[in-house]
Amino acid sequence: MTPEDTTIAVVGDGFGSLLVYATAIYVGFRPEQIAVYGPTPYAVATYAGHAGNLGQTVLRSESESHFLPADWPTFAQLDAWSRRSPAPLLRSIRRRYNPGLAEILTEARTVEDRLGLRARRIPKRIGWLHRELDPEPHFLIYGEDELLLGRARHVAIALGHGPVSFPRVLAQAREDPELRERIVQAYEPKTYRDGGRYVVIGAGIASVNEWANALEAGAKVISLLRNPAPEEQDLNTPRCFFEAYGIDAFQELTFEQRVAFLGAILKGTSPRRRAWIEIVEEGIAQDRFDQLIGEVDEAKPGPAGLSVHVSSRHGPAPGWLDVTGVVCGTGFVRSCLATPLVRRLVDSYGLQVEDGRLVLRSNCGVPGLDLPESRLCAMGLLANSVVPHGDTIAGLKYIARRFVADCVEAEQLRERPLGSRLRMQLSLARAASGAIRRTRESEQLA
Amino acid sequence: MCPTTLGRIETRVATLFLPVLLATILSIATRDEGWVVTIGLYLMLGVALDVCIYQYLIRWQPPWLTGVLALVEFVLLFVLIKVLQPGQPGFADPNPLPGATDWHPVVLYWVSWCLAIGTKIVVLPLLFLSRIEDGGEFRRTGWTLPPQRRRVPLVAAPRPDPHSTAVAREFSTRFPDPEPHERQPGPAAPS
Repeated sequence: MTPEDTTIAVVGDGFGSLLVYATAIYVGFRPEQIAVYGPTPYAVATYAGHAGNLGQTVLRSESESHFLPADWPTFAQLDAWSRRSPAPLLRSIRRRYNPGLAEILTEARTVEDRLGLRARRIPKRIGWLHRELDPEPHFLIYGEDELLLGRARHVAIALGHGPVSFPRVLAQAREDPELRERIVQAYEPKTYRDGGRYVVIGAGIASVNEWANALEAGAKVISLLRNPAPEEQDLNTPRCFFEAYGIDAFQELTFEQRVAFLGAILKGTSPRRRAWIEIVEEGIAQDRFDQLIGEVDEAKPGPAGLSVHVSSRHGPAPGWLDVTGVVCGTGFVRSCLATPLVRRLVDSYGLQVEDGRLVLRSNCGVPGLDLPESRLCAMGLLANSVVPHGDTIAGLKYIARRFVADCVEAEQLRERPLGSRLRMQLSLARAASGAIRRTRESEQLA
Repeated sequence: MCPTTLGRIETRVATLFLPVLLATILSIATRDEGWVVTIGLYLMLGVALDVCIYQYLIRWQPPWLTGVLALVEFVLLFVLIKVLQPGQPGFADPNPLPGATDWHPVVLYWVSWCLAIGTKIVVLPLLFLSRIEDGGEFRRTGWTLPPQRRRVPLVAAPRPDPHSTAVAREFSTRFPDPEPHERQPGPAAPS
């Protein structure tokens, strides 16, 4: 395989890669100047898999968080145009609009296809990045098989989330083949049985989805919470932290203050959705849903398939429960060290890690490796000590735009003129709108 | 969005470009400065509201609020026009209550508002990629705090005990050093 020489490389092939690619093309880079490294066939493949397992039908994002390079049209405007209906606009005005999953993934696929991202994919997982300074600063990009795959002047690391996370006791119990299929993560494939008894751990969006899915299948559910009252908030990051007010203030904090702040805002939140509330209320009325406070501290085979012992720091312990299965809405491992490439970079270049987070520069640059003329920029969860909503579509867009702006400056690129930008944006919007029209309309839940 | 005060003012000025153009043409065509003065009053009123009211009252501005603010600003501008009576006789009704000839400033306001909101929604995002993220400000797309402008970790400030840190005590002659000083060459000495 001949190594690919490009100006920009994106290590990781999810949403972040698409946003960097689309923004770079929008401002004037040519497709052959960009390479995206990663094994999945489409930028939405991993997300679609997780969302499918979760039974998710709408995104929590707002109307601006989508995959066209510029902020107009918003997704609500695009949806309204596609369906020839003012309903998305009216919902958006009242802040009751959430992009449908099918619609937004369709848009992402359309943008990807129209901008030729598929041809710029190098379907290999990256194992190592090596900084070279001669004859000019660049990075050597190696696959996990240690083969040199490419060179690039600027690299964005957009690896997405780490592996799914389980409470320690349940992770150990999963090693027992008899119990493995009874302890699952919300993001894994699963089937609920009519009359089954399930414990769903957590109260975030993934867990609430699972309550509804299990109840709809006719099962009984106990929702298990570690703490008595999770905060109720639509988005994990406070709204103004998506924009200048918040991000400017956040970046003024020290790293320790930022980590403490993230610890406070990233705790479990339970968003309200009309349909979920109705399903859960119906479950409560039919004695099929209850909520307990506690943590699983033991698991073993039981008469219903699995027995779990639940203890509580907030009052009497529920004790042993006989259940069909346990579903963990506990998200992903947040430590950056769970990602092999990052762990190798940390080990080899002596990068600083605090509280599981890579200490980055204020431009999301990796200290010691990032140079103005050859950027190494982290995106997504890796970067949320700099951009608090770094792992949302809005946050990825925020970082992608600034990373690409740095590349433009370093390369002294002649930017695409306004007329050409407008044509490109309209052509993408038109194509996306046509594709959205062919999808089944997602039901709004808010 | 969560506009900053600067973002509000910049957006207001930029989005009134087309209304100013329209009002200027109307003023020349009708030989009545009332059109362009009305837009000037609208701009001044808006900036005053941005600086004195909105920045304290509104942090996050949902889309529906933009419509409500347009109505409020319309009422305020109408009152201003009634008080100041810009333009030639006949541009607006001189009576304090709404009258037949008031349609001139009323239509001008709503046409201008539509042009301004169109510019804000469609044109500005294409011109300034990160405008919404930057609180409505026309910043060049960039990081809030470039690494070279990060604060140094320690800034000198008056404190009750100037010798509270180990390094200050070590330098101070008030505290005897445990070992004799090593005499090093001065900074300007040849190495």
